Amino acid sequence: MSGGRTGPAAISVDRLTKRYGVHAAVDGISFEVARGEVVGFLGPNGAGKSTTLRILAGFLGATSGRCFVDGHDVAEDPYAARRATGYMPEAVPLYGEMRVREYLRFRAELKGVARGKRVEHVGRAMELARVVEVADTLIEHLSKGFKQRVGLADALVARPPLLILDEPTAGMDPNQIREVRALIKELGEEHTVFLSTHILSEVEASCSRVLVIAKGRLVGEGAPGELASRVRRAPHLVAILNGARKAWKPIVDALPRARLLAEKVLDGDIDRLEIELAEHDEEGAPLDHGQLVETFAEELVNAQVGIRELSIASPSLEELFASLTQEPAQAKPREHGGDA
Amino acid sequence: MRGFWPVFKRELFAYFVTPLAYVLILAFVLWQGLHFYLLVRSFAGQAEASIDQGPVQAFFGSDVFYYMSLILICPAITMRLFAEERRSGTIEPLLTAPVSTSAVVLAKFGAALVVYAAMWAPTLLYLVIMRRGGEIDWRVASVSYLGVLGIGAQYLAIGAMMSAISRSQIVAFVLSSILILGFFLLGLGEFVLDEGIGRQVCSYVSVWSQMGELSHGVVDSRRLVFDGTLVALPLFVTVRTIDSWRWG
Ligand SMILES: Nc1ncnc2c1ncn2[C@@H]1O[C@H](COP(=O)(O)OP(=O)(O)OP(=O)(O)O)[C@@H](O)[C@H]1O
Ligand SMILES: [Mg+2]
Repeated sequence: MSGGRTGPAAISVDRLTKRYGVHAAVDGISFEVARGEVVGFLGPNGAGKSTTLRILAGFLGATSGRCFVDGHDVAEDPYAARRATGYMPEAVPLYGEMRVREYLRFRAELKGVARGKRVEHVGRAMELARVVEVADTLIEHLSKGFKQRVGLADALVARPPLLILDEPTAGMDPNQIREVRALIKELGEEHTVFLSTHILSEVEASCSRVLVIAKGRLVGEGAPGELASRVRRAPHLVAILNGARKAWKPIVDALPRARLLAEKVLDGDIDRLEIELAEHDEEGAPLDHGQLVETFAEELVNAQVGIRELSIASPSLEELFASLTQEPAQAKPREHGGDA
Repeated sequence: MRGFWPVFKRELFAYFVTPLAYVLILAFVLWQGLHFYLLVRSFAGQAEASIDQGPVQAFFGSDVFYYMSLILICPAITMRLFAEERRSGTIEPLLTAPVSTSAVVLAKFGAALVVYAAMWAPTLLYLVIMRRGGEIDWRVASVSYLGVLGIGAQYLAIGAMMSAISRSQIVAFVLSSILILGFFLLGLGEFVLDEGIGRQVCSYVSVWSQMGELSHGVVDSRRLVFDGTLVALPLFVTVRTIDSWRWG
């Protein structure tokens, strides 16, 4: 990994497991984030993102495994680890009865910012997070988006080398989302950023690398463009056909390396099929999906099967997660950058 | 003690920026006022006060029901300390700052104690009033205040512990009231039980005999140690409870 020479990694996680009862929310994950990186932690709901971030931030204890933040073990040297981290929790809980500036001053003092520097630190954090205009507003009167930004200002206020942000744009409107993404890019120049999200486009917009987690396990890792293209490279063919099953089934079966994922009778002889197309043929050469659909349509017409609809759909993020979970061969963390 | 001051200041701020502290202080002052009034009336009826039953002694040590108000007031002061942070989730940013759990607990407890002390502050005025009518034994008065603070510290520590154990303020309030009431009743056992270990225990936790002694200017060092334990133990449990959340 890059950046290893300039000191300890910003985050280093070694076989981290967190169990709630028998259920493993995080199941033996290992990864590293080098200094200066902006890394996205992508996963569906309940994947274990928040749990991992909470352990890194020192809020939860791990069941087993070790985590280092800026070279400090979060369990054994918690104060040094927490001092190196600016953490923004998922729901951004704040003291509603305080004013924004008051709250940030309190947080700066709590995080050990020297008295003489507090005003300056708070001012800078408020400017960066764009909360200057609400500096003297009671936090309970702020909108969700502004509260989110106050949480961000709090994470920044002590100027820690590492920022850990749990879904920083959740609950924001599109304009605010764009602003915060730009801000994260800006912050990436000075801080290491590790942020969680379940939106693929979010990591594409602001991250240099993505870790994908599903059901508590790391299932993929790579540059965001690479992951996005992996989604596009595994398209589905959706066909609504009017004809007997025995007429179209052989044609579907004859599609090279395709897999019938689902078939549903819509009405009488009308069926809806969902077919997964492979990316490569047996020899490893890329398949031309356009050509494939053309041939498919031709043969259906020849077999006198009516075509109501024929389209290629990119699988959703859920399907990406599903496919990543099924293909542990692709989950090797070292592989990124190689197969793009 | 990492983080003690900022948390202490913020807690105090939170008390006085919300109406809770004012409501409690006002209620207590009214209760005090009533007590004082009744006391003054009874002394006015007496021709001459005996030496060991002066008005100061009477005010701090006379009737046990006076202290019963604390059974409700102390839990009301402490109920929000941790339960509210947990409900709103603010405990997460708090505990992920470089602070030690014991500093957080002591800071919150300290702020509650300050509110409690502020609640008693108006009674100083009664001393001033009493002085107009005669001599005040200042040693007795200051030792009495020490006792009042000691009792409060115990009850507030119990309240802080319950606030950490329960998830809601109401539950924290009810549980700590019950526990404090239990202690209080145990103290009354002093008057019921025969001589023996049981009675000794009861007299130790008894608010009444405690204030009785103190209001005569008697400071028993064994008692101080015991009081200290009754404060430290619940606070220790509180720290342990909060640390255990991390492993939940
Ligand atoms: N305190 C808890 N007790 C029991 N189970 C929990 C607890 N917290 C989380 N879990 C479980 O752990 C799993 C991972 O939760 P986590 O909050 O880390 O997911 P997430 O990836 O952050 O999801 P989301 O996108 O919804 O925020 C979930 O199955 C959740 O139900
Ligand atoms: Mg989450």
